[in-house]
Amino acid sequence: MSELDFTISQRPEFAIVSVRMQPGQKIYSEPAAMASMTPSLTMKAGLKGGWKKALGRMFAGESLVVNTFSAATAPGEVTFAPGIPGDMLHYRLDNSSIYLQRGSFLAHSEGVELSAKWQGAKGFFSGEGLVLLKAHGTGDLFFNSFGAILEIDVAEEYVVDTGYIVAFEDTLDYKVVVLPGARPSKTIKNFLFGGEGFVCRFSGQGKIWIQTRYVHSLLSWVFPFRPSSSKS
Amino acid sequence: MEAITRNRPAFANVLVRLNPGEKIIAEADAMASMSASMEMRTRWSGGPIKAILKRIFGGESLFVNEFSSAVPAELVLTQGMPGDIECIELKGTTLFLQPGAFLACEPSIRLGLGWAGWASFMGGEGLFRLKVSGTGRVWFSAYGGIFTREVTDEYIVDTGHLVGYEPTIHIRVGLAGGIFSSFFGGEGLVTKVRGPGRIYMQSRNFSGLTAWMNAHI
Amino acid sequence: MRYEILARPAASVAKLTLDANESITCEVGAMIAMSTGISVETTSGKKGGGGGFLKGMKRMFAGENFFLNHFTATQPDQTLILGPTMLGDVVHHHLRGGTLVIQGSGWLASDTGVTIDATWQGFGKAIFSGEGLFWVKATGQGSIFLSSFGAIYEVDVNGEYVVDTGHIVAFEDTLEFKLKKAGKSLIGSFLGGEGLVCRFNGTGKLYCQSHNPPSFGKLLGPKLKPR
Repeated sequence: MSELDFTISQRPEFAIVSVRMQPGQKIYSEPAAMASMTPSLTMKAGLKGGWKKALGRMFAGESLVVNTFSAATAPGEVTFAPGIPGDMLHYRLDNSSIYLQRGSFLAHSEGVELSAKWQGAKGFFSGEGLVLLKAHGTGDLFFNSFGAILEIDVAEEYVVDTGYIVAFEDTLDYKVVVLPGARPSKTIKNFLFGGEGFVCRFSGQGKIWIQTRYVHSLLSWVFPFRPSSSKS
Repeated sequence: MEAITRNRPAFANVLVRLNPGEKIIAEADAMASMSASMEMRTRWSGGPIKAILKRIFGGESLFVNEFSSAVPAELVLTQGMPGDIECIELKGTTLFLQPGAFLACEPSIRLGLGWAGWASFMGGEGLFRLKVSGTGRVWFSAYGGIFTREVTDEYIVDTGHLVGYEPTIHIRVGLAGGIFSSFFGGEGLVTKVRGPGRIYMQSRNFSGLTAWMNAHI
Repeated sequence: MRYEILARPAASVAKLTLDANESITCEVGAMIAMSTGISVETTSGKKGGGGGFLKGMKRMFAGENFFLNHFTATQPDQTLILGPTMLGDVVHHHLRGGTLVIQGSGWLASDTGVTIDATWQGFGKAIFSGEGLFWVKATGQGSIFLSSFGAIYEVDVNGEYVVDTGHIVAFEDTLEFKLKKAGKSLIGSFLGGEGLVCRFNGTGKLYCQSHNPPSFGKLLGPKLKPR
């Protein structure tokens, strides 16, 4: 599969990717990610891979719908940007797999398949969802974060708060453990014990990408600014 | 007057150094900090009627602040959102800005309202646009990083990513794909710009942020 | 302890390298990732616990968490990545005696040479300064990491300087501030959106943040679902 010609700019806080496409090339993105494009491209929304794949994506915190941008006869250019402020990375899959945390997927080229990977008890305890998104195949993948993305090369073991994981290579193994005091308390019970957080303990050899901000912090900060619901 | 835009693009702010006799006009509440000798005078943004029209249709504040100082002094100007600030120098030329984008200008710049047309209104950007003209520097702000594109023929911009454009740019509203794909695919209406001319885009879309937050609340 | 500040100014984190037995105290929730040779202790006061209940309560009023986390390396060369909750900056301040007064949520972490307490700034300032009721007071000798919403810029004040409410991060206590109207006329000050400002006086270092969290909140809030 031919590699995409792209540029990521405005890293790390407002990263945006511009992809220059040749006739015959296609790129698939999450809905509403397109920021601009040349009129030579066509955009089509659909349930890529059928209902089963689409539902899998939904369980992994992504959208049912995938938008397809294709250059039919003339070359073109398309830019993608997520809504939240943050970083973006490109990862080249070469008959390999990578795991993405909920909401991290932005776009991929032909040759990449997305599927849901059930995490069982690990996902249940992490508080970040039961399912991870697995990207596999051969092609280009773009994922995004809230805050900057830092790359960590794990040689033996490393601990990451579950809320800060963006992606990791499938050569790594992990387990979810409780780290007392890692998170602010949300309930009285938690308050008495100083809150508790879940962390992922990674082991093996491979790369982890972490984000420098936690989305739920933003959501709880904005709470007092939201309108109060009218009781009718 | 010396002005440096710092911390671009994430938390851009403008450090302004004024000499005696120099003035800068800024949007209400744009001041973050300043020398104690700086004098701030609040006035209508171009007279009461114009100010009210600009407030309603241009998304700007009713009042602007004029800063000056009897001795050399500094001032830091900022905006409410995280994002970029761009400075352009007008030389008897005009620039159109989306509502809310204006931050500051030199006193020689005229701020007015221009008819943006039904196409702009349909695209969710309002019937009017802010028109800045004259000779001098203008600062405008965005949510996201600001970047430019020289449009020669036609280009499609997602509504909400367009910050400003030159008067030679013609704007109309269209669909990103077919009717089904445009709405099902979350792109909805897009802005089709026709050149030749320069457009200023922002790398994030504020309604993209609020949509994302509403989906995660 | 060695430190490096990455991804300034919007997504900043402090990456610390601790040697065996070196320790850092930070707000709960600040840990993003770390090596496995680090132990964590949660207390309401100093490392080792005890007697911190009142301090914990005061800290809570200052917009911080009741509890503190103490990270201590049990092996050499351990890395720890700390970040604040809001989008924004992190800066390092070296405290050499004296006192640094820090805005409610501006304290991120400090080493064991620094004592953290809360301080009351008076009723008028509490209501109108746009900051919290209590401020964090840091004393002693050592490293402090400050965080903000927006980029942090330093101003060396010698005489007077004006900061809009909501833009203060921290200041040395050789400075003091009073709330004043922004312009000459009171009505003008409010119509011009500036209202009251903090007028600093003295000689010392002042850290300001380029953006004001409530301004951003007021832009976002109306477009969000009711709570």
